[in-house]
Amino acid sequence: MRPSLLPGGHPMKKSPALAVALFLFVLSAALVGYRIFFLGYPVFPTVTETSWRLSAQAEVEPGQADEIQILLALPVENAGRVISEERIFSSSLTAGLSREGPNRFCQWRGDSESKNVDISYEATILLRPGKTPEKGIPPVPEDSGWIDREDLQLAERLARPWRALKPADRIGAAAAAARGEWKPEPGVEDLAAWIALQRKRGSTRPLLLLLRASQVPARSVEGLRFADEVRSRPMRWIEAWNGKDWEILWPNTGEIEPDPASLLPLAFGSVRALAVSPGRVVDARWSVSQQVVGAWSLLLGRLRNSGSFLDRWSLFSLPAEFQPTFRILLLVPMGTLIISVLRNIIGFPTFGIFMPVLMALAFRNTGLFYGLGIFAGVVFIGYAVRNWVDRLRLLLVPRMAVMLTLVIACFTVLALVGQQFDLRQFMAVGLLPFVILTMVIERFYILVEESGVRQGLETAVGSAAVSVIAYAIISWEALQMTFFLYPELLAAVAAFQVLLGRYTGYRLSELFRFRSLGGAA
Amino acid sequence: MILQALRRLRLGGVLGINSRNADYIMRWNPRSRFPLVDNKVLTKKMAEEHGIPTPALYLLIEKHGDLPALPRLLEGKAEFAVKPARGSGGSGIVLVREQSERGYVTQSGELIPFGDFAHHVSDILSGIFSLSGLEDIAIVEALIHPDTVFGDVSYQGVPDVRIVVYRGVPAMSMVRLPTKASDGKANLHRGAIGAGIEIAKGTTVTAVHRSKIVARHPDTGNPVSGIQVPYWDEMLRIAAGTFEMTGLGYIGVDIALDRDRGPLLLELNARPGLAIQLANGHGLRERLEQIDRLPAGILANPEERVVWAKRTFH
Repeated sequence: MRPSLLPGGHPMKKSPALAVALFLFVLSAALVGYRIFFLGYPVFPTVTETSWRLSAQAEVEPGQADEIQILLALPVENAGRVISEERIFSSSLTAGLSREGPNRFCQWRGDSESKNVDISYEATILLRPGKTPEKGIPPVPEDSGWIDREDLQLAERLARPWRALKPADRIGAAAAAARGEWKPEPGVEDLAAWIALQRKRGSTRPLLLLLRASQVPARSVEGLRFADEVRSRPMRWIEAWNGKDWEILWPNTGEIEPDPASLLPLAFGSVRALAVSPGRVVDARWSVSQQVVGAWSLLLGRLRNSGSFLDRWSLFSLPAEFQPTFRILLLVPMGTLIISVLRNIIGFPTFGIFMPVLMALAFRNTGLFYGLGIFAGVVFIGYAVRNWVDRLRLLLVPRMAVMLTLVIACFTVLALVGQQFDLRQFMAVGLLPFVILTMVIERFYILVEESGVRQGLETAVGSAAVSVIAYAIISWEALQMTFFLYPELLAAVAAFQVLLGRYTGYRLSELFRFRSLGGAA
Repeated sequence: MILQALRRLRLGGVLGINSRNADYIMRWNPRSRFPLVDNKVLTKKMAEEHGIPTPALYLLIEKHGDLPALPRLLEGKAEFAVKPARGSGGSGIVLVREQSERGYVTQSGELIPFGDFAHHVSDILSGIFSLSGLEDIAIVEALIHPDTVFGDVSYQGVPDVRIVVYRGVPAMSMVRLPTKASDGKANLHRGAIGAGIEIAKGTTVTAVHRSKIVARHPDTGNPVSGIQVPYWDEMLRIAAGTFEMTGLGYIGVDIALDRDRGPLLLELNARPGLAIQLANGHGLRERLEQIDRLPAGILANPEERVVWAKRTFH
């Protein structure tokens, strides 16, 4: 056991703490940055955003066949429009998603048992006004099965004067024609034939025809508008390709839509928003409503379908019952960081590091007011009993066991009192960390014995104050959500903990303690 | 205002607790050597090997099975001290000045029946007073008869001299004088007085009581400054030698003055407190930095370290 002579001492290598802290911080920042800039995570997860809830419901009467098939057109995501959560429901049919060209469907199939079938679809849609949808690629030609040769010739005659115009102007001319403002005015016969065609075919198809005759790719669209409304059938409009982008025309009024982003297209071309074969739609309802939700909740649906590694390994993938635990756990290191600051920079006296954190966790069940009261009460009773137990001269381990029993007995009595007076906080007392409370009583007793009542009370009050601060931190919902979304923030917390570990300056309390030693300022 | 206060402390060369831990204890005190000073039995054995005097060891009680034999083992020992090997802050220490038919009489005149005494030793063995709460050993050793030099400025108990030794160089010192409030114990946080001792001459300077500067002992009313500590050079030599003995670079050395045997090493402390700065009215950091600048030749030799410290710290 005799040590060797070490006259040179043990000079330590220069501490790499700064480099470690820097590494942890960069690691954390890089992961957070990646999530925000590449995966589109919200910077402030609890900031509320406006989103739209789309719901489509239908009741369908099956036709005379073994199998029924229902097709419902669904919204499509693009850069300016994110679909965060989708729910599909049917009482008796099986559902599947499919895509065809620009369209996306939900397809329900199943045996029809001659009774009516209900289907429904819900989605949360988030608009990102800042981001413009990607420019469309030139469209595929519209199917032309419905086009009558004579009608097409009429349209070509009417559109002939526009041939020299640019596509956008040709669309404008066609829209004006739909309003009845021809430029130039066509022949009387053609005009009469056109009006007859509109009377026969409605307003959409003649306008499509006219656009087709002017060499402008166009398609009809069924969809909705982002506004609080309920419709029994979707709106219908025409999209015309101006060479760069789709322009939206309202066939009835001949107006060009000034705000295409306010529309939610569902079905493109000859596809209908809701189709049943065989059978008939008894009742259908599409509704759009605005809702305000936390930014993080909009992320949920996307995470589920994402292929990104970080998305799939998100804490949101945990079963719901385990998530609250981690929301709290992730903030505990933050709490200990604050305690380190209070102890090493301010000089707060506390009973250890963990005790205030565990008290703070317990306060989540009892509430701050009752928690502190119970804490003070049990420590006081415990101290009185411990003082008396000292006379029994019990050995260490059995004595601690006695004190633990006392603490549990206190909890039991409190719970029963709580039951009588209907105080739930008293009944939640069982979750207070009884082991810690037992240790606190012991440490409080020893501190009072060794250093006096004053020091003991100071430390007890210091611990209580620190646990209140820790409680405030772990209960802060915005912070919970932030750490839950970005668990890599733990690395940043650790970076600060490492830095704090290398703080060798004075504690604030030492300014007071050594005030008589100060040199001339 | 806070910044100004910070500046004042820095200019005053005050050592703060964070800096003590990170810059001195962690840097100079290897963890593996801590047991040597945390366990008084090991400290005692080590000191003997190095020719440093300690209170005579009568008995080590290591297991509960020894307890029934206690009265027989202590027969004929009129006075002795019982302490836990791993105790801290003077807790668990009982000073016995005589035996009666019913039990032991402590220095403060209290009678402890044999049964109670055995129970106290049992408490020590089960670790009640130990730093870590682990099982412990009880030490029975000779009672110290304090030198009369501090008789006028202490209330019962045994005053002890604390010397903070950095890299083997005595850097700062004080004598801790028991008061009524400290129950005869020489621990500052229990209310004992700490009187700074000038390293150069071995005379007391200012004193601190419960973090206030005082000139007189609160119980006896006698002035605490200007007392010449006897055997001062020998104390400094003992202190300087603990560096080679323990391998610890930042250490508190506690020495008691026995009226017959002179300085006796009581215990060593690997985490000595900072109140010694208040007792001396002087910061430690400046002295530690001076020591760091010493040439290796002086640092390698205990005698030269003492000479240098006496020449430098006054």
